[in-house]
Amino acid sequence: MSKNNPILQVKDLTVSFNAFAGKVQAVRGVSFDLNKGETLCIVGESGSGKSVTNKAIMGILSKNAVIDRGEILYDGMDLTKLTEEQFCQIRGKRIAMVFQDPLSALNPIMKVGKQITETLCVHQKLSHEQAKKRALELMAAVGIPEPEKRFDQYPFQFSGGMRQRIVIVIALACNPEILICDEPTTALDVTIQSKILDLIKEIKQERNLSVIFITHNMGVVANMADRICVMYAGKIVEFGTCDDIFYHPAHPYTWALLSAMPDSESRERLFSIPGAPPNMLMPPKGDAFAPRNHYALDIDFKEEPPFFKLSDTHYAATWLLHPYAPRVEMPEELKRRIDRMVEEDMEYECK
Amino acid sequence: MARYVMQRLLAMLLTLFIIVTVAFLVIRLMPSSIYDDPTISAEVLDMIQAKYHLDRPLIEQYGIFMKNVLLKGDWGISMKIQPNIPVFQVLGGKVPLTLFINLVSLLASIPIGLVFGAFAAIKKNTMTDHGISLFVILFISIPSFIYATLLQYFAAYKFGWFPITYTVSDMASVKYLSLFLPTLSLALDPMAKVARYMRAELIESLNSEYILLARTKGFTRSKAIFRHAIRNSCIPVLNIVVPMFANVLGGSLVVESIFAIPGMGSLMIKSINANDHYLTIAILLIYSLVSLMTVLVVDLLYAVIDPRVRMGGKKQ
Amino acid sequence: MRIFKATDPEYLSLKREDFKLHTREEEIHDAKFETKPVGFFKDAMLRFGKNTASIIAFAIICIIVILSAFGPMMNEYGYNDQDLDRANLPARIKGCEGINLLNGSTVLKNRRKDNLDNTEKYPEGCILDVFNETVVNGVEMCDIRIDTYIYSGYGDDYFWFGTDYLGRDLWTRVWRGCRISLIIAFAAVLTNVGFGVIYGSIAGYYGGMTDMVMMRFAEIVQAFPNIVVMTLFIMYFGNGLFAIIMALVVRDWVGTATLIRAQFYRFKDSEYVLAARTLGTKDAVLIFRHILPNAIGPIVTRTMIAIPSAIFAESFLAYIGLGIRAPEASLGVLLSHAQTVLLQYPYQTVFPAVLISVLMISFNLFGNGLRDAFDPTQRGT
Repeated sequence: MSKNNPILQVKDLTVSFNAFAGKVQAVRGVSFDLNKGETLCIVGESGSGKSVTNKAIMGILSKNAVIDRGEILYDGMDLTKLTEEQFCQIRGKRIAMVFQDPLSALNPIMKVGKQITETLCVHQKLSHEQAKKRALELMAAVGIPEPEKRFDQYPFQFSGGMRQRIVIVIALACNPEILICDEPTTALDVTIQSKILDLIKEIKQERNLSVIFITHNMGVVANMADRICVMYAGKIVEFGTCDDIFYHPAHPYTWALLSAMPDSESRERLFSIPGAPPNMLMPPKGDAFAPRNHYALDIDFKEEPPFFKLSDTHYAATWLLHPYAPRVEMPEELKRRIDRMVEEDMEYECK
Repeated sequence: MARYVMQRLLAMLLTLFIIVTVAFLVIRLMPSSIYDDPTISAEVLDMIQAKYHLDRPLIEQYGIFMKNVLLKGDWGISMKIQPNIPVFQVLGGKVPLTLFINLVSLLASIPIGLVFGAFAAIKKNTMTDHGISLFVILFISIPSFIYATLLQYFAAYKFGWFPITYTVSDMASVKYLSLFLPTLSLALDPMAKVARYMRAELIESLNSEYILLARTKGFTRSKAIFRHAIRNSCIPVLNIVVPMFANVLGGSLVVESIFAIPGMGSLMIKSINANDHYLTIAILLIYSLVSLMTVLVVDLLYAVIDPRVRMGGKKQ
Repeated sequence: MRIFKATDPEYLSLKREDFKLHTREEEIHDAKFETKPVGFFKDAMLRFGKNTASIIAFAIICIIVILSAFGPMMNEYGYNDQDLDRANLPARIKGCEGINLLNGSTVLKNRRKDNLDNTEKYPEGCILDVFNETVVNGVEMCDIRIDTYIYSGYGDDYFWFGTDYLGRDLWTRVWRGCRISLIIAFAAVLTNVGFGVIYGSIAGYYGGMTDMVMMRFAEIVQAFPNIVVMTLFIMYFGNGLFAIIMALVVRDWVGTATLIRAQFYRFKDSEYVLAARTLGTKDAVLIFRHILPNAIGPIVTRTMIAIPSAIFAESFLAYIGLGIRAPEASLGVLLSHAQTVLLQYPYQTVFPAVLISVLMISFNLFGNGLRDAFDPTQRGT
């Protein structure tokens, strides 16, 4: 774990939901640091707790959610302990968020201009003219043509990609330090996706933002990430730099994720992870991934694996790394894939 | 927009024309004749029939009626209730009273319903919510004439807070005081309906992502709700308000008769029972006209509030 | 965050034999359904069963239906037995002597006190209570509560809900009226739904020109204000049972038709219907076996919600003098008669009013329960 200047630290965060059937443990002791100016990708399948982690950071968990343990340190404050009023000084102003589906994230009956400027009016106490001027600048900056005309239109008059640009403008309006992107391209056309990703990369560079990027798409991760956290069943199972995770994956779940990534080169059948994620009402004992894991050890069903250090930046939580464990290699097919990726890397940069 | 209004107005005229035609034919085809008083001699009867063209074939009568309506704006005269007075003169004094209690009760009930509904939604699953929901189900279920009866017996008769029936008076305060109970008993049902619908819509809005986005902008929960959810929830509520306006005059018939209000309700009953045909047609026309007009106005209002309709976008 | 250190005592105790690949009896496969498949109806009924308010409402509806069927036979009075001597007697039930509403008593005001012993005027035992004694112009006056039955010479009779202005037994008439109201409501709603379903199915299934023409017609029908249509209808066909039922249907079927048509538009182009069509399935089979069952939930719900409105509409007609023909009575007819004597004989209003209110509340709660059961996503609207 790099010790250079974390701007946000999440420590042992545990979140559960009081549901009809009982307590659902959505996030079970997640810890990570976000360094200044980096993009941290959190990957995992649906229900792995990645969105909940970030809603906790934003302080917008639903009413039935409880933070059982842990802290979120930002600028000397523990965000889990703030009151709603204190939080309002941070949300939008210093930490902002881009949502998955821009159609449902924008108020359908309010002009987009107003939706942008209201943040400015709240946080920066700008006058209407000033706020509009700033909004128009930002709209132009994210590549919305004819911002003057667009300012007075409604969300339904925008295309999906343009809507997402509006959501990004809203997030950027007050110059936040941290931008949380919750699957910002999932709801968009494939052709638009790369444009939005490029835009996020660009504004991150320009403004020296720290970005938490949530996705389940390994292709997007490769494109965006400086560092990667892989989550499964409410826990981080492996984290490291982009190169660590893509070229030296150590956790069987990461192997599975990488194998499931579509690849134009490979002729093999697309791999899918067998089985279903565990029921988070009663998380299983030991390693939650064990029941779906072809390389599971007996101990996986008894003891929860700790993190094993692979390098200064790379950790993985699997018993396979224990000295006692049999030597298990990643699947042949994946190995070939990674080799191919390394080759491609000569022309294709992953940073 | 202007074109849309024109289209709607034309469609409305067509509907009114059909209604008047059907009303005319139905009333004329009714088995009982207008003048069945046995004391009138056959000669006089023939004269009367000739005067009102009742001896001609039905189609011809209809032609004469329509000609008078279209060319002279003459809708005929009352034959029984106030003989020889043009029908709209007979109606003149009655319409405002009926319109008053209906519109006031409806217009007052909508904002109150919205407030209660919003309150219940924000306080979902608390005692406040359950309390409001209980009243909602009571007000929706129990017919307005039961409330009217209850209010009349207790608030007016037992406690004497209000006049028991409609009171004609020079003093406006007395007159409006006597209209309070009928208006109230008409208001409870729409109020409850609006509250119930508002609660459901607002709960849906509260779970929407744009409320989350508004909160990530740095609004407190209550501020986010106020700025973003309330108006969005009001729009679908309009969907149930439109039919209420469509039935705007019909609802008060019973309440009018309970409180002895000399409105259109009692006049309609009387004219039907007395076979006062032209008057009946005129009353049916007024009912249709008011209901079609209010629906049109509410629809236009819809377009004003919801940009998606105004701009030709899709409804939700 | 736990990080592995070989020297950590926590990890020293680990046994080497645990670190061998786990052997499985069977291949890993996707989660299989462990619960038994539950049919749509059964599922809905299970959800309905959890809704206590709706269950109680359903029980109350059943009781009311049973009483409307058998209530009139529970005493010896016919629904049209008139006797003006016993007109307007208040309710009197055996065993309820203590309750003023149900012991057949009436308050007479400002009676001369010296007359009270006059058995010709006040038959023996008819005076229950004397109160509010005052002296006016040297004459002692008082209010008395009398047993109206003994007072008018019907000491042996028990009219459980009292009698009306013609001396007819209100218990019999209320339940008979309730029966009529329910028959009208059920018949109207079933006709409405039946016609609406057929109309909507045809318009929705065939679409195109057929749909255009049928829906324009429906729109015109709906443009008529309800009250106008019902009035014209009854004026023309008279106020028999059938005419009233039809008057309630004549405009309401449009709503059902629109609903069904929308369902057809949703499902008729779905893959499974196309699949059935390519197999040469007949139109009727497609309509009734493949598409219509999707709409069963909304149909049932709509039926249940429409019943209280039909009861209301029927009472409404009665109030404006277009109710069912005498001597038959419906709840609305009883209420509108009672309304005219509300201040003198409030008990005549109480019983039908309570009954109609309970009936409407029960149907609404029951309908809400059904709607939630059939369509859990629609909760609360």
